Amino acid sequence: MTVTTENPDVSTPKSRHPVLEILDVSKSFAVRDGFRTRSLSAVDHVSLSVDEGTTLGIVGESGCGKSTLARIIVGLHTASNGEIIFDGKQISTTGKRDRAAVEQMQMVFQDPSSALNPRATISESIAFPLRVQGVAADEIDRRVAKVMADVGLPSNYAGNYPHQLSGGQRQRVNIARALALQPKLIVLDEAVSALDKSIQAQVLNLLEDLQEEYGLTYVFISHDLNVIEYISDRIAVMYLGQVVESGAASDLYEHPLHPYTQLLFSSIPNLDPDESRRDDPEAVDAGEIPSPLNPPSGCRFRTRCSFAHDRCASEAPVQVEVSAGHAVACHLYPEGGARDLVEFLPGVSEQ
Amino acid sequence: MTTLLLQQGPLAGSAPTNESKVEAERLREAWLAQEESVRSQSFWKETGRRFLANKVGVGAAAVVLLLVLAAIFAPLITSHDPLVGNPADRLLGVFSGGHILGTDEQGRDMFARIVYGGRLSLVAGFVPTLVAALIGTAIGVTAGMVGGLIGSGLMRAMDVLYAFPAILLAIAVGASLGPGLTNTVIAVTIVFIPPVARVAESATRRVVSREYIEAARLTGASRIRIARSQVLPNVLNDIIVYSSGLVGVAMITAASLSFLGLGSPPPAPEWGYMLNSMRGALYVEPLVAMIPGIFIFLASVAFNMASDALREAMDSRL
Repeated sequence: MTVTTENPDVSTPKSRHPVLEILDVSKSFAVRDGFRTRSLSAVDHVSLSVDEGTTLGIVGESGCGKSTLARIIVGLHTASNGEIIFDGKQISTTGKRDRAAVEQMQMVFQDPSSALNPRATISESIAFPLRVQGVAADEIDRRVAKVMADVGLPSNYAGNYPHQLSGGQRQRVNIARALALQPKLIVLDEAVSALDKSIQAQVLNLLEDLQEEYGLTYVFISHDLNVIEYISDRIAVMYLGQVVESGAASDLYEHPLHPYTQLLFSSIPNLDPDESRRDDPEAVDAGEIPSPLNPPSGCRFRTRCSFAHDRCASEAPVQVEVSAGHAVACHLYPEGGARDLVEFLPGVSEQ
Repeated sequence: MTTLLLQQGPLAGSAPTNESKVEAERLREAWLAQEESVRSQSFWKETGRRFLANKVGVGAAAVVLLLVLAAIFAPLITSHDPLVGNPADRLLGVFSGGHILGTDEQGRDMFARIVYGGRLSLVAGFVPTLVAALIGTAIGVTAGMVGGLIGSGLMRAMDVLYAFPAILLAIAVGASLGPGLTNTVIAVTIVFIPPVARVAESATRRVVSREYIEAARLTGASRIRIARSQVLPNVLNDIIVYSSGLVGVAMITAASLSFLGLGSPPPAPEWGYMLNSMRGALYVEPLVAMIPGIFIFLASVAFNMASDALREAMDSRL
């Protein structure tokens, strides 16, 4: 499977500085289960960084904690542990953030309909962030007009209500609203998942154009592998709250290292049956995703992994940088060199 | 292999080239030239504009206003005494002997009693409804937005009051405060606050879970601002539907209290009390006996229709 990323020269991080650094962030929720209160580990010791002007794609199944992570970044949830450094300054993960930090980071939500106030016209929805920041009235008009033109919404839609617009148009309104405050970073939580495929393509192209014009940084969260492949410069793969692999997009697609990543990519339907990865040994999925209330000990993926061995149950793997910018958390790749995968196949291994 | 669709050429909304920059500039100018009504208008201004365009609503509001004005300017409208009458003239029919609406069982002019009674009944009907709607909304929206222990605490306090049958609670409050119109109003208001708070709280919880509230939090807006501009417009619909039905109930409750001697004591021309005291006259002069009921009905229905029109004005979909 060959892939071309949009800007191959962007994948070298040395030329850009990181706009967002997530350091060892964890989040657990107290969940009531009958009479007991149990701890749901939604995000577990996640560390990521995003360079300015690039897109970090975060991919994983439903329930892997990517939406929670998105909300922690933006400040809608507090983090139980860890730090976030935005634009060189540490920002609060637990309490109120200062206004500048709030303005610089915006979010585009998944459901275009529920993300808009049904009782407000779309120009009112877009203008609201500007009103809150105390921008002058005529300046608000100017900026709303500019941002609507940027996302390709005709000016006569300004007085319309959300229910009068199509899904794709509503998502453009959401993007326009996110742009209104001229942020540095936009987190997109499944921003195209609710749209038809052809509209998805339009919106993704729009996002790329906006990124180029305004030098925006994106954190793009999705469960759709094709979308992630298209839009990301770097990708992080999450499973049950942990980052299992991260690296440049092309690197990950050509050489997926973690068994979970390989499992994910083998599930992408392939037009050419000869190229299909479905029947590869790594692609065998041994079970259902475990509950985040009670994750497996040691490596959380071991219950579904073809290569699981004794060490996986007793010890949690750490992130190891296997090649430039490409890191994996798996016992198959311990510190000090990768192992031959063949050793771990069931029936072949003697360990 | 990438999905074929994604490899198509530039589609709508792609790169701002030079031509599209000129186009954007043109769009911007066209937008700024739009009429004021199309540009960002606050929810309240839009609502006001639409309400005034609804003839039925304006008509109903006019009827309510008429009743209120008649009550306020009663001495100017009629010269008859509402409290003292000539027993010899009792139960005259409509339009007889100089009495437009006839006389009651003690010979008092009906029309005078109705307009002066408006001061008591309309106050007893509208004021508790409006005040309870305000206070109940404030409590419910606060409880819904704050949530947690405080929210639950508030709602459980409301439940304690709600558990009492309304009329008993009104009697209890009325009895402890004493007779009179003001105390009637206070009693009925207290009775109405818990149900309104419940409606407000459940509507608020429904609204607060939606993503546009999260988006509003991202702008750095204070919670009060979010409550006012995002939550309230979406919650008012349910509250108004519920509250407007309360006007008639308020009037009848006030009438019950008067009957028990806890409201405005006789000979005060309170409509509900008159409705009750003229039951016996129903076989003698049915039309005159029904008049207080007609006015309670009129006030209640007109208020309901006006608030329906208000709800329609608030709903952009209609």
